[in-house]
Amino acid sequence: MAGIQVRGLSFKYPTGEKWALDNLDFEVSPSEFVVICGKSGCGKSTLLRQFKKNLTPYGDRIGEVLYDNIPVGELDDRRNATDIGFVQQNPDNQLVTDKVWHELAFGLESLGLDNQTIKRRVAEMASFFDIQGWFRKNVADLSGGQKQLLNLASIMAMQPEILILDEPTSQLDPIAADEFLKIIYKINRELGTTVIISEHRLEELFTMADRVIVMEGGKIIADASPTKVGEILAGEDINKPNPMFYGLPAIMKIYAHNVKSMGAKMRAKRAEMPLTIREGRLWLEEVLAEAPKVGRADFEMESRKDSKTENKLKSEKKDEPIISLKDLWFRYSRESSDVLRGLNLDVNKGEFFCLLGGNGVGKSTTLKAITGIIKPQMGSIFVDGLKVKKENFKALFKNKLSMLPQNPQALFTELSAEEELLESLYREKISDVEKVDRVEKMLEMMEISHLRKSHPYDLSGGEQQRLALGKILLLEPTVLLLDEPTKGLDPFFKITLSGIFQKLKKQGVTIFMVSHDVEFCAEYADKCAMFFDGDVVSVGSPKEFFAGNSFYTTSANRLVRRWYPEGITWEEVSLWIEKTMIK
Amino acid sequence: MIKEGLGEKSTFANCHPIVNVVYFALVIGITMFSMNPWFITITIFFAWTYSILLSGKKAIKYNILFTIPIIIIMSVINALFINNGATVLFFLNDNRVTLEAFVYGIAAAALISAVIIWFSCFNVVMSADKLIYLFGRITPVLALTLSMIFRFIPLLKERFKEIVMGQKCMGRHRGGSIFFRMRQRIKEVSILVSWSLEAAIETSDSMEARGYGLHGRTSFHLFKLSYRDKILLVLELIFGLITILGCMTGLNNIYYYPKIVLKNMDLWMGITLLTYMVLMSLPIVLDIRGEKKWQEYRLEA
Repeated sequence: MAGIQVRGLSFKYPTGEKWALDNLDFEVSPSEFVVICGKSGCGKSTLLRQFKKNLTPYGDRIGEVLYDNIPVGELDDRRNATDIGFVQQNPDNQLVTDKVWHELAFGLESLGLDNQTIKRRVAEMASFFDIQGWFRKNVADLSGGQKQLLNLASIMAMQPEILILDEPTSQLDPIAADEFLKIIYKINRELGTTVIISEHRLEELFTMADRVIVMEGGKIIADASPTKVGEILAGEDINKPNPMFYGLPAIMKIYAHNVKSMGAKMRAKRAEMPLTIREGRLWLEEVLAEAPKVGRADFEMESRKDSKTENKLKSEKKDEPIISLKDLWFRYSRESSDVLRGLNLDVNKGEFFCLLGGNGVGKSTTLKAITGIIKPQMGSIFVDGLKVKKENFKALFKNKLSMLPQNPQALFTELSAEEELLESLYREKISDVEKVDRVEKMLEMMEISHLRKSHPYDLSGGEQQRLALGKILLLEPTVLLLDEPTKGLDPFFKITLSGIFQKLKKQGVTIFMVSHDVEFCAEYADKCAMFFDGDVVSVGSPKEFFAGNSFYTTSANRLVRRWYPEGITWEEVSLWIEKTMIK
Repeated sequence: MIKEGLGEKSTFANCHPIVNVVYFALVIGITMFSMNPWFITITIFFAWTYSILLSGKKAIKYNILFTIPIIIIMSVINALFINNGATVLFFLNDNRVTLEAFVYGIAAAALISAVIIWFSCFNVVMSADKLIYLFGRITPVLALTLSMIFRFIPLLKERFKEIVMGQKCMGRHRGGSIFFRMRQRIKEVSILVSWSLEAAIETSDSMEARGYGLHGRTSFHLFKLSYRDKILLVLELIFGLITILGCMTGLNNIYYYPKIVLKNMDLWMGITLLTYMVLMSLPIVLDIRGEKKWQEYRLEA
C-alpha cells in the first residue's frame, strides 16, 4: 500500500519555542483526496513539507512519516523525486526554464530519460492538461493561472503516486483558481493519484474532498468527512463557533447556524449538511415549505422598506467626489486596442469603494492612471481637487494619495518589521522621537507589535500584507488605493483587514480597492462597481449591486435570490431564514 | 519581404541547429583565415546579401554604420604605422606611407566587417533554443543554466518594474537632487536583490523536488534531423571540405609585403572559389525558394 502514514509526529523549528507540529497521528490511503485547512501559521505548510524528503525543514523531530512503509527521510532519491509531487504557492518562483516544453521536461531530464521517452510523456501531459496551444511559448508570456497549471503538469509528467499542494491557488484569481482545482479533482478521479492539499478556498474543495483535516496550533482538531467537519466546527454554542467556522462555505455556515438557533426541525429530512448551492436550495425549499404561510409579498415589502431607509440615509450624506475620472481613454501602444474606453467614475470622500471585474478588463490600469504611472491619451483625473499630472506629483503624494501594490515584497528593504516602517518616514522632516512614536502606533494598529523584530520575508502572506499597508499608511494618505489586498489571505486575516479598513474610514480615509474577491466586497464595502470592457457598467451599494447581478454575486445570495434577492452575506441570509420561520 | 527581412521565420533558420552551426562555423572560419581579395570579395558579397535577406532595411543601415568607419580607421592606421611595402606614396614626418600597407589595412578591415556581419546573421538564425540545444550536446547542465538565464532576465525586468511602480505609489518618484536619486536607485536595486534571493529559495526547492541533482541528467529538445537537414549537412561538408582543401594549399592567402602578388587564376583556384560561393549561397538559395513557395501558396489561397 503506497499510502502515507504519520506516526506520532512532532516538529519544532530551531528558533521556535512551541512545537509547530504536536503529536500528529493519521493515515492517508491511496487515491484519497484530503484537504488540510486551518489559520495561517497553524502548521499546515510545515506538515506538508514533512512528506517530501528534500523539503523537510531543519529542526527537532519526533515520530516519523512513512510512505509505502518506508520513512520518507530514507526514501531512495529517485523514488522521492518521482513518487511524491509537490506544488508550492507562488507560480512564478517554481518555474525554472524559459520555455513551456522545457519546463514540462525538467523532471524527466533529471531522471535521465532519453529524448524519445520524454517526448512521449510530455505529449501525454500536454494533451491531458490541454496546453498544446501554448506548448512552445515562453513561460514569461503566460498568465498566472497558466503558470501554475504548468507547474502542476511538469510534476504530473513524472507520474507521482502522491500529489501534495501547498495553497496552490492563493496567488490566482477566482476563475483561474476554480479551473486549477477542477484539474486537481480530475487527476484524483481519473488517474487515482492521492491528493493532499492545503487551501483557504474551501467553497470548491469541500465538494471534492473525501476528508478534511482541520489544524490549530500544530494539532489536529478535526479529521472527518466535509459535512462532519462542518458540524464539528460549528460547535455547541451558537455564538462561539470555532474560528475556523468562518472559513467554511457560506451554505454550510447558514445551515449550521440555523440548525443551532432553530433546532433540529431545520435539518428537514437531510442526514448531512448541504455542501453545494444546489443542495442548499433543495434544503431551503423543504424548510420554507414548513414556514408559516405569510406569502412572499411580506418579505418583499419588508426588504423594500429596508432599502428605502437605506436610500434615505444615503441621500442625507452629501456626495463629495474625492477621486474623479473624466472620460478616460487609454491604450498601451498605438497598435493595441483600448484598455480604458471613456471611463467616468466618481468616488466620494470617506467611502470604501470596490471595483470588481474579471481579468484584464482594465482594473489595474485604472489604478495606474490614478497614480499617474500611466498617462491616458484622453480625459482627466482629479484627486481631491488636484489634477493628476507630473507637475502635481509632489503635492499629490504628500499626505494625499498612496497605493498598496499587489506584491508587498515590492516595498521591503529593511531587516526587521519596525525598521521597515521607519524607512517609510525617512524623508519626513520630523524629530526622531516622533517618528518612533508613529511607528509604534502603526505596529499596534496593524496588530503586528509582536513581530517587530522579525525579518519581513519571514512573515506570512497576511502579515506581510499588513506590514506593507502600515508602511503606506505612515505616509498618512487621505486616499488609499489597494490592488487586490485580499489575495492569498486566510478568512481570519480578511476579518482583521476589514477591521483596519473600518478604523481608517473613521479617520476619514477614502479607500479605493480593486478586487476579485466578491465575498469580501459584499460584506465590507460601501459601494461596489463592476468594471467591464474599459468602463464601469454598474455602481451601487453592495445591496443594490449584488441584488442586480445573478452570476457575479456572493454564494449566499445565489442561494436565496429566488426568495430574498437582497440577502448578500451569510449572516443576513440566516437571519432572514430565522425570521421567516418564526412568523 | 525585403523591408522587414525574413528573420527567424526563414527556411534556413527552421533547419536543425546542427545544420545552422556547421554552416556558420565553416563560413566564418574560412573567412577569418582568408586574406585573398577574391575570398574577401566573395564573403562580403554573401554576408551583405544574407544579412539583408534576414533583417531587411535594418541590416543595410547597420552594415554601413559598422563597415565604413572600420575600413577608414584601419586603412589609415595601418598605412601610418606600418612602413613595409615597396610602393611609397608619400612621406609623413620621415615615415614611408606605402600603397601595400594601405591596401592591407583595407583588406583586413573588410575581413573584420564581413565577420561582424556574419555574426549578426548568426544571431538572427541561432535562437536561444538552438544554443541551448547545442550546449546540451556538450553537457546538460550548461544547457539548463542557459535556459535559466533566459528565464530570469524577463522575470527580473518584470520585478524591477513592479518595484519602481511600488516606490512611485509611495510618492518616491525619481527626481530631486543627485543624492536623492542615487539613494532611490540603490534602494530599488536592493529590493530587487533581496526579493529575488528569497524567490530563488523556492526555485531551488522546486528543482530539487523534481529530482535535480540525480545522477545522469539528460537534455530534452524538440529538434528533428529531417531528410532535408541531412542533405544540407552533407552538401555543407562537401563544399566546405573542398574549399578548406584549397585553402590548405595556400590559395586563400597572398603576399602583401613587400609587393602585392596576386596568384594566377588556374583550375584549382577556380574550383575552390566556386565551391566557396556555393557553400555561402546555400541558405540564401534555400530562403528564396522557401519565400517563393509561400508566395505561390498565398496566390492560390
